[in-house]
Amino acid sequence: MQASSGMLTKFESKSSRAKGIAFHPKRPWILVSLHSSTIQLWDYRMGTLIDRFEEHDGPVRGVDFHKTQPLFVSGGDDYKIKVWSYQTRRCLFTLNGHLDYVRTVFFHHELPWIVSASDDQTIRIWNWQNRSLLCTMTGHNHYAMCAQFHPKDDLVVSASLDQSVRVWDISGLRKKHSAPTSMSFEEQVSRANANQTDMFGNTDAVVKFVLEGHDRGVNWVAFHPTMPLIVSAGDDRLIKLWRMSETKAWEVDTCRGHFQNASGCLFHPHQDLILSAGEDKTIRVWDLNKRTAVHTVKRENDRFWVIAAHPEINLFAAGHDNGVMVFKLERERPASAVYQNTLFYITKDKCVKSYDFQKNAESPTLLSLKKLGSPWMPPRTVSYNPAERSVLVTSPADGGTYELVNLPRDGSGAIEPAESKRGQGNSAIFVARNRFAVLNTSTQTVDIKDLTNNTTRSFKPPVGTSDIYFGGTGNLLIIAPTAVHLYDIQQKKTTAELAVTGIKYVVWSNDGLYAALLSKHNVTIVTKTLEQVSTLHETIRIKSATWDDAGVLLYSTLNHVKYSLLNGDNGIVRTLDQTVYLVRVKGRNVYCLDRAAKPRILQIDPTEYRFKLALVKRNYEEMLHIIQNSSLVGQSIISYLQKKGYPEIALQFVQDPATRFELAVECGNLEVAVEVAKQLDRPKLWTRLSSEALAHGNHSVVEMCHQKLKNFDKLSFLYLTTGDNAKLSRMAKIAEHRGDFTSRFQNALYLGEVEDRIQMFKEIDLYPLAYMTAKAHGLEEECQSILEATGLTEDQLNLPTFGEPLTPPKPVVPTYQANWPTKATSQSVFEKALLGQVEGLSLEDQPAAANGLGEAEEEGAAARDTLGEAEEDEDVAGWDMGEDIVAEVEEGFVNVESADAAGAGSSEADLWARNSPLAVDHVAGGSFETAMQLLNRQVGAVNFAPLKPRFLEVYQASKTYLPASAGLPPLVNFVRRTVEESDPRKVLPIIPRDLEYLASNELQRGYDSMKTNKLEDGLNIFKGILHSVLINAVGSEGEVAEARKLIASASEYAVAMSIELARRSLGSPDAVSKNPQLNKRSLELSAYFTIPKIEVPHRQLALLNAMSLAGRSKNYNSALSFANRMLANGGASKLLETARKTKAQCERNPHDAVEIEFDQFAEFEICAASHTPIYSGTSYEECAFDGSKYHTKYKGTVCVVCEVCEVGKHGSGLKLFA
Amino acid sequence: MDPYSAEGELINIHNHFHQGQYQDVVDFDVSSLSAENALPARVLQLRARVALGQAEDVLADVQGEAGDELAAVAALAAQALGETDKAVAAIEKLAQSAAENATVQVLGGTVLQAAGKSEEALALLGQHQGSLDAVALIVQIHLQQNRNDLAVKEVAAARRWAQDSLLVNLAESWVGLRLGGEKYQQAFYVFEELAQAPATSSVRTLVSQAVAELHLGRTEEAQAALDQALKKEPEHAEAIANLLVLSVITGKSSEELTSSLQKADAEHPLLVDLAEKSDFFDKAATKYKAKVAA
Repeated sequence: MQASSGMLTKFESKSSRAKGIAFHPKRPWILVSLHSSTIQLWDYRMGTLIDRFEEHDGPVRGVDFHKTQPLFVSGGDDYKIKVWSYQTRRCLFTLNGHLDYVRTVFFHHELPWIVSASDDQTIRIWNWQNRSLLCTMTGHNHYAMCAQFHPKDDLVVSASLDQSVRVWDISGLRKKHSAPTSMSFEEQVSRANANQTDMFGNTDAVVKFVLEGHDRGVNWVAFHPTMPLIVSAGDDRLIKLWRMSETKAWEVDTCRGHFQNASGCLFHPHQDLILSAGEDKTIRVWDLNKRTAVHTVKRENDRFWVIAAHPEINLFAAGHDNGVMVFKLERERPASAVYQNTLFYITKDKCVKSYDFQKNAESPTLLSLKKLGSPWMPPRTVSYNPAERSVLVTSPADGGTYELVNLPRDGSGAIEPAESKRGQGNSAIFVARNRFAVLNTSTQTVDIKDLTNNTTRSFKPPVGTSDIYFGGTGNLLIIAPTAVHLYDIQQKKTTAELAVTGIKYVVWSNDGLYAALLSKHNVTIVTKTLEQVSTLHETIRIKSATWDDAGVLLYSTLNHVKYSLLNGDNGIVRTLDQTVYLVRVKGRNVYCLDRAAKPRILQIDPTEYRFKLALVKRNYEEMLHIIQNSSLVGQSIISYLQKKGYPEIALQFVQDPATRFELAVECGNLEVAVEVAKQLDRPKLWTRLSSEALAHGNHSVVEMCHQKLKNFDKLSFLYLTTGDNAKLSRMAKIAEHRGDFTSRFQNALYLGEVEDRIQMFKEIDLYPLAYMTAKAHGLEEECQSILEATGLTEDQLNLPTFGEPLTPPKPVVPTYQANWPTKATSQSVFEKALLGQVEGLSLEDQPAAANGLGEAEEEGAAARDTLGEAEEDEDVAGWDMGEDIVAEVEEGFVNVESADAAGAGSSEADLWARNSPLAVDHVAGGSFETAMQLLNRQVGAVNFAPLKPRFLEVYQASKTYLPASAGLPPLVNFVRRTVEESDPRKVLPIIPRDLEYLASNELQRGYDSMKTNKLEDGLNIFKGILHSVLINAVGSEGEVAEARKLIASASEYAVAMSIELARRSLGSPDAVSKNPQLNKRSLELSAYFTIPKIEVPHRQLALLNAMSLAGRSKNYNSALSFANRMLANGGASKLLETARKTKAQCERNPHDAVEIEFDQFAEFEICAASHTPIYSGTSYEECAFDGSKYHTKYKGTVCVVCEVCEVGKHGSGLKLFA
Repeated sequence: MDPYSAEGELINIHNHFHQGQYQDVVDFDVSSLSAENALPARVLQLRARVALGQAEDVLADVQGEAGDELAAVAALAAQALGETDKAVAAIEKLAQSAAENATVQVLGGTVLQAAGKSEEALALLGQHQGSLDAVALIVQIHLQQNRNDLAVKEVAAARRWAQDSLLVNLAESWVGLRLGGEKYQQAFYVFEELAQAPATSSVRTLVSQAVAELHLGRTEEAQAALDQALKKEPEHAEAIANLLVLSVITGKSSEELTSSLQKADAEHPLLVDLAEKSDFFDKAATKYKAKVAA
């Protein structure tokens, strides 16, 4: 077949002449009726013959699938119409009536009707449900060649060798047969046989139009699916187009071109095209509107007899002398390119659109490419250049063309490209920011061009190059029929080559380290240097692929989405009901384009491949997470794990004891193996376990196995080797008990007990052996007694010479007490993680925390007193500080006027200070002095020393060092938090450890230190937080509130921790308990510790602490109040239990033994410096930054919480957002 | 024909030099070069050796040889060895006698700028006749003086006559990193193109790429590029310095890096600057005091 651009053959069969064809509406099946009387059912996707139906006698000319039922109909030269079930694979019944060859048969789209055309000049309509003839339409006066129902209206069109096309109105027939009154079968038959005239004189089917125009017989006729158009093909070699209205029909035009009889024709189901086939061995495609030939496909030897279209998808089939071909008119793969989060693609109407993966939104049309190539040929590829925001589009039209166009900046509507650069080429891709490569396959050259379309260099690619792809920076991947070359453009040579055949597409991973080479049936994964990593084969066609961020390849075949790991492990992710082209994977979403070039999102479950990936990467945390959070169980995953050599992980999934045992043995987990063996208690398992345990050197397990198996010999030997003589002698006893002499002898031998052996020999009347044994060990007395017993004398014996008697070795080390050094147990990280999973730490984790403080108490156990309790709403007024410090800002501006040297400009760092009223920006700019001024004014900062690390950190973070010319220091550039901004008046520096970071990292660390009772560390962390927030900036007004919350929280914790630390520094618990004054103070401090507003679980700890101290000092009243507060807070049951007990105990005697300054009913706050109460109503001072409270006498000192600000100095308020 | 043009003999060695592939420059086979290109190639190789820290050898190499070019190289080597005064004196002499010599201009400019004499350097470099090396230097000097406007102008002018040469691209990217906004991305493309292609990749280009990423706020990618660079050359001061900045930005501890930078280059601007600022901080902090001592 002549290769014509745009027509793609998908399937071909070899058989005798094919006369009839029908597509299955849903499945990839095609029915072919043959001249040889056979009907074939093919799967054209897989290329396999599914079934054959052979009941007709002679050629079968017409065939049709039912739209919904598992039925098809056929008609042949035996005058018969047969209805078949393809499920039961047999003919259901036969409709007899035609008197000559049946030419075509078709089902009605909704009614249970069949229309048939026959050489007996009639067209008949049948009901296949009650198997009756409904109507016979007469009028043609030659063979009726074809008859079809209208897809919607009650019309039939027919073609005949009498040179006419007739349109029949069958509305009468419908009316009659959908009458509400049900009729008996007999009535229907009698009606149908009433020669088409019912009782009102109407006929069921009347000729509506007779279309005359063909000069010879008409072979085929078809309705347009939507428009009132008819197309017909005749022996006059013409294709005629007819139009009809309600009242008349007329010829529109003729398509001339066939030079032999035209045998079939049809309308394209979706496009304005006509397809026709003829005995001149051609299939021709015509433009419906212009009636001009679009293209022609010629076959060497085979005349075409029939052509059919798939009702849904873009597929056609044509029957010829030697079989059938299934083809499509154009590639349906939409051209697309992905850049970061955007997909650029070309729609069916040739518009460039983009799709945002993050917003899941389609853009309006960015650009119209209507003028590119031929109107009937979609563009093949698109390549996107983010630097220039331009696209490079190739089209197969005119032997291959490319076009370079810029996308409009903010395009909307169908915009014709303002200017474009075009040229000849089969493939064109961007290879660098300002270069693209064009392959011309006919001349076999690759040109590297710049953006003005001038060739900058040109080279000959390897022979037979069919395509080029991006090959990483500065490289091209050149696709030849049997190899892929990695070509370095600069050096003009191939740097690597890989022998793979038939590669069609290349897909790069997101990190650019790997590429997937796709051919029709293979996926080959290679590195960026073209080393093969893995390859896999699919029996079904591979359509597209894309990479997951984690380096998993997802690819689509005709009907599946599958995955492949780098190591070649692959599996099915989901099935597809229609072919799609994957473009991107993000989490559970797979983005793809369907054949209509619409972006679609498919939901997938990535668990399986993520798990496998985690397994390959040994990322146990991830695996653990997956196991815990998804239902990943089942035989497949277990056998997968086992096969891949991870029995220890598979073990975690298995419940079935037998499998568990196998796995445990395989991974050497004896504990589990023993446990399961005990449970099952089968000799076979014990045997396996014993040998396995022996290999591990775990002889205690071996012993147990032998005991279970009653392997006395083996046990004895085991005791011998482990030197366990006690057990060995017990074995001897057992042997004696069992009367097993061999065993007894053996044990005696092992134990070196000669007497026992002799005794045994005597018992079994083996006196010679007994004598020899005694003699050999020099036991003369025994010898004598034996001689006496046997009545022999020494002279009568003929003795051999003895060597030294053998004694068994004495155990030097009692190795039986412990196992031998065992083989390293393979308790994997994974298992440990599983075991340790309960130790996850979080704020709610109270038991662990309680232990922390509990221990501390034991260390510092002493008499402690109880204080009262006071709940007070903390005054937050300290935080509602000024928003409005315009004056401040202006002063800031004045202060930073820089004194730059003449000739040189001012650096960006200087600009920051000018651009911002925030202290942090001044710090980043290196303008420390002004930053200090700002802080002093805003929050009364006076002691800057603690802020030094933060100052330097912020300063350091904002400068990078770019190596430039050799021999000169690097260029300093300035890192911005306003990345998008280039206006020098608006740029601002980056801030390390911003608010979010502090809240999610440092604060958590602080909480942890509280829980684990590391208060010194905690105090430092919270002070660090305060310092970091002080020199910081936030993005919005809303975040300012968050920052305030963070400051308040950090401040409360700092105060709380310092109170407790102060208590602990009073002295050793003993010393404190002996000194009443210290004891009192200790009790007070422990009570104050419960006052700051810290997280409830932490407050519980403080309360617990205070409660037990009070209890120990017999301050039952205070203890009771603490207990009550704890119970009110709720939380961990263990703590509450303690509280309840204490409460019960204290209620018996609610009195305090030690008087302390703590009124549980009064409202007060704690002075951060003196750690004494500030009762509500009394005047106090506070730190303008962190809000910590002080007695008035501390005014003017440095705040002990933040260590920076002066107490009582009220500034304009901290400014974090400009 | 310009030996540095795309078809010239020196294009590759020249590109290697500016991509920071100094070892490739030194190893470059110069035997096949034509006679008039032998000296420029030698100068490039000598400069590369200076950049590789072999200034003493270079000095010994050119000792006693005639020619302005080699004298300039000697001055550069002296500068690299810390003998700034000697180097400046030599260059000032050359500037009198052979100011139109391109090599003298470029090397002289480098020495003068390194000695802090920016104005003199610009005056000398301003006499160039279509030397891209000179243009690149001028751009850098302008940037160091924070005269971004002049740098932009210089690049735009060079772009007109040297379209797509490596040096113009580099210089434009330097400016781009200073200007920011969309220019960050463009600079990134240039550096990435160089850093990720095996033929042009070097520690310098990798560090440049990382810096661009850093400015774009892509810290993970920057980290990856710097790791790549440090794998190639663990002692590279610029790579360490930028990694230090990166780790500060991401809130990680930077002490270890500070000490390794101290080891790699105690005189690195980052350290010098930081020490200066540290003193400055202490001085500024003394101005404030609490009213009442606690």
